[in-house]
Amino acid sequence: MNTQWIRLSGGAVIVALFGVGCSMSPAMTHSMPGPTARAATSATAAADLRTGLNALLGEHVMLAAAATNAALGGRQAEFAAAAAALDANSVDIARAIGSVYGAGAEQAFLPLWRRHIGFFVDYTVGVATKDKPKQDRAVNDLVGYTQDFGAFLASANPNLPKAVVADLVKTHVLTLKDVVDAQAAGNHPKAYMALRGAAGHMAMIADPLAEAIVKQFSSKYAAQ
Amino acid sequence: MIRGIRGLASLFLTGSLGATAALGADSDITIKTFQFKPTPIEVKAGTRVTWANADDITHTVTSGTPGSRDGRFNTPLAGKGATFSFTFPEAGTYAYFCDRHQSMRGVIYVK
Repeated sequence: MNTQWIRLSGGAVIVALFGVGCSMSPAMTHSMPGPTARAATSATAAADLRTGLNALLGEHVMLAAAATNAALGGRQAEFAAAAAALDANSVDIARAIGSVYGAGAEQAFLPLWRRHIGFFVDYTVGVATKDKPKQDRAVNDLVGYTQDFGAFLASANPNLPKAVVADLVKTHVLTLKDVVDAQAAGNHPKAYMALRGAAGHMAMIADPLAEAIVKQFSSKYAAQ
Repeated sequence: MIRGIRGLASLFLTGSLGATAALGADSDITIKTFQFKPTPIEVKAGTRVTWANADDITHTVTSGTPGSRDGRFNTPLAGKGATFSFTFPEAGTYAYFCDRHQSMRGVIYVK
């Protein structure tokens, strides 16, 4: 393990995450490039919303795991590419939020979302450098972040209780942490099984989020 | 270093311009969905500005910017319904932010 590179990569990923520009189309369901794009399974706006959120959040986990795996393996070019793609995904998720709640919410959401990625960078660096206090701080930050994220969505949508959202995001944090731990241990079967679990869990966030939005704006998302 | 880069980056992530409030004796700012609304506002000298937290999380109202706090006020608003008021006696431009979520920024122009 190239621990010096890992130490630097903590900063590098932040630069990459904040440095990537926005070039996605405004329509969320049209903003999924490449192989992760999924066709809507229904012609309704509600179905588009649900499939779009599932695709975006599932992609988030896959790209995050790709970034941490590359970082832990010392593959700098791959890591930079994964981090850039991960940030493009973050921008798309924020745009999805903005498409429902407006530009102000989009601008507020993006740094909040990026924050948890930064904490995961901290955790990954802590794992790579075997720095237990750093790992513990990152986990504490991530757990604290779940309350912020829950509060954001609860504020935007009264159908999303803060505690429920926070708990779902906590599971996201813990399942992705399992991926990073298995990657760091070189346990590939465990890492990929954990990744399946982590990616699958995102439906537990995307589905209720979509349902809550549809309930909040029922006329907008009425069956067509 | 990471924190410094985050702070620097956050400078480039803000900058939304809200409605300008009418001049008046008192002015209210709501904190909702991790945003100060409205911002910026323009008030007369002597105006008392009140911030009210509508989010179910602690925010702060901290004067200055994350990289340059001016020490005028730094008050936590612990959850929904918490308020804080401050009277601006002199003309000037007053920036403020949330210390817990430093991308949350606002500006008050006192005339």
